[in-house]
Parts: sequence; structure tokens; C-alpha cells
Amino acid sequence: MAKISPVIGRYVTIDVDGLEYRVFWLENGDGPPLVCHHTAATHNHQWRHLLEDEDFTSRYRIIAYDMARHGKSDPPRNAEWWKEDYRLTADHFVNFVTAFCDALELDQPTFLGSSFSGCVALHLALRCPERFRAIIPLQAADYAPGWWLDWWRHPHTNAAQVCSSGVWDMMAPMSPDDERWLTLWYHMQGAEVLKGDLHFYSMDHDLRGRLHEIDTAKCPLVMMTGSYDFLTPPEVTRATAEQVDGCEFIEMKNLGHFPMSENYPLFKPYLAQALEIIDRKLAP
Amino acid sequence: MAQEAAAWAEKFRRATESDPIIQCYAKYYTCDFLLDMEALRVGVQMRDGQVHNIEINPAPLDPHHFSLHAPAETWRKMSQKHPPPFFHGIWAASVREDLRIEGNITVLMQNLRNFTAQFELLRQTGVPV
Repeated sequence: MAKISPVIGRYVTIDVDGLEYRVFWLENGDGPPLVCHHTAATHNHQWRHLLEDEDFTSRYRIIAYDMARHGKSDPPRNAEWWKEDYRLTADHFVNFVTAFCDALELDQPTFLGSSFSGCVALHLALRCPERFRAIIPLQAADYAPGWWLDWWRHPHTNAAQVCSSGVWDMMAPMSPDDERWLTLWYHMQGAEVLKGDLHFYSMDHDLRGRLHEIDTAKCPLVMMTGSYDFLTPPEVTRATAEQVDGCEFIEMKNLGHFPMSENYPLFKPYLAQALEIIDRKLAP
Repeated sequence: MAQEAAAWAEKFRRATESDPIIQCYAKYYTCDFLLDMEALRVGVQMRDGQVHNIEINPAPLDPHHFSLHAPAETWRKMSQKHPPPFFHGIWAASVREDLRIEGNITVLMQNLRNFTAQFELLRQTGVPV
């Protein structure tokens, strides 16, 4: 008997700032939408466990897309993208997320982003909180300088190995080998875009001095970070959360920068806790 | 001390040459590096995935491509089976703790996959300090 997953994948074409993107997404479940974004230079398989977890799919419509240029979502169809140096900006990133949600006619989705998409989650909370039921930034900070580096695609190195080996250190050493290697594998596939993604993460993303403008009464915010994440250590995320009135912070013990992918059983109760906090805040 | 260090060097050589990850990927793993553990320095020469030589306390002018420098206590934490947060790799420890990486970083990057795997063997062999 073939083991067929209930997860389905589809494409949608969206316009973002005049660029036409054919976006691939995976989804499963019924209920209010929970939109999941992967980390830089990888794709939606990072959410593979959540997409098949009946404890969540029985309550939420889990949607995990590949951002343009990642996974099965191609670069823009109507531009000569190969003649430009890819540099993701905060404006374009925000517009991509909202255009995708509009295209799927999602009503008040909860947004769950990690690392660079955890940082864009903060921009969503600042710019358009009324569009989201809640926002959960993972591994995020108000500012993350220092990682827009030429090493990510230096012609004298094997970029796939450099990018993925750097990623290896961001995971907790006690996370299972097979899950860490899969997480590394996904990053090997996306090495070419890492530098462009990190242009947003380390250059264009800077919310220092603006976090007090986020209104968690309009959209609850729960930030979570793994204790082994050297890129965004717990104290950095905690300091970010403390600047947002009403923001909750959870430290995830014995997890690194890719909690949903490197050790899902450990991540699951933390996600459940975040969603419970949100339900409580939104209860009449 | 000298005997203990020599025994450790042999243990590290065997661990490297029997490690399935390194032997899977390391066909071109060729570089020289120095591990400066404060109380003791270790020079390692890799050739095509095999340990060519491990020198305990090499002479000051012995060449290497890159080097890692940290206090002995940091090396002891990095070599635990489950290192505490930020002692769990060269990136983590150099960004958040007191590990310094010096020398020709291009060579390190060219060999990063294999060096990372070999570095983690310290969790099996421990360190000689």
C-alpha cells in the first residue's frame, strides 16, 4: 500500500512590485490559516513535520510556500534577473508576503517566519498588523548585522558546502543527525541566493528605535528563539521582545536556529504554547 | 604530558581516518592547520583526506594555512559530547565566545565541510589540555 501524504502542492502567479512570480506552496489541514515561511536560502520542506502533524492540521490550514528564487518558486518571469545582483529589501519582502496571502484570499492568517522571515515578521507587525490574526517571529531580532558576505558565493570555494557548513553550527548538537543533515541538505540547494537574502537580513532590516510603534493590541506577537542559536541568541531576541509592549518571548531549550526542521518533537510544544498564548490574548 | 599528547594525536588520527563522513567527502581535503589550545599547540597536516602528520607543539615558524586559538577551558567545553550553547562549533564559538580564527580563511572555506566534521571528532577524542 503506497504511503501518500495528505500534503498537496500547487502554484500561484503573483505580482510583487511589478515582478511576476510563480510561487509554489504546500498545504494541509482545515481551519484558520497558519502561513509558514522558511529561513534564508532554503525552502518549504523545513516545515515538513508541521505540515503532517494532525495535532495542528486538525485545527489549522497549514500553508508553507517557497519564496521567489527558492525551492520550486522561480525568479521573476518578466525580468532579466540574471543580469542583476539579487538583493532582497524589506519593502519587497513585505510586499511578497502580503501579495501571496491576497492571492490565496487568506482571511487574517497567522504568520510564522524564521530567521530572515522572522525578521520580516517584525516588519509585518509594524506595517500591516490589521492583516494578520497574529505573528510569530522565530529566531528574530530588531537588527542582525554582519552576514552580508561574499563568502556565500565566492568563486574559489564550494558555495553549497560553505553555506551549509555554516548552517550546521547553528543547530543544537543534540538534535537528531538525520534531521540536521536534511536541514543542511536544503541549504546546499539554495546557496546561490543566500547572499541576496542576507542583504535584507543584515543590511536593509533595521528596526532599532521603531519597535515601540508595533501595536500588539491589533496583532499579538510571540517571539521564540532556540538556546543554541548563535546567530540570534536568546538574549538578543529577548531584548527585541522587551521593546514591544505586550510582546511575549519564549526561549526554546536545546534548539538552534532551525527548530521546526532540526528537532520537531522538541519544537512542537513551544509552537503549541505560542498558539495558546495567542488564543488567550484574542479571547473575548 | 608528552606521552598523553602523543596518545591523543594517534586517537585523533584514527578517528579522522575511520570517520565515514570525512572519508565520504574528503577526497580533496588537503590543508595544514594549527589548533592553539593555550597550554599546548597541535599542528595537523591533511593530505587527500588522510592525516599526513600531527605535530604536538610545532616550531613557531612551521607553516600552516589557518589556525584556531582559544583558552584551554574553551577547548574543553568544545570537546564535550554535548557542548554548552555557543561552544558547539567554530562559527558559534568565534562569534559568541573567545575562539579566534586566523590565517588564510579562503583555505578554511574551501575545506569547511571536512574541517567541520573533523573538528567535531574532538567530541569523541577529547582534547589534550
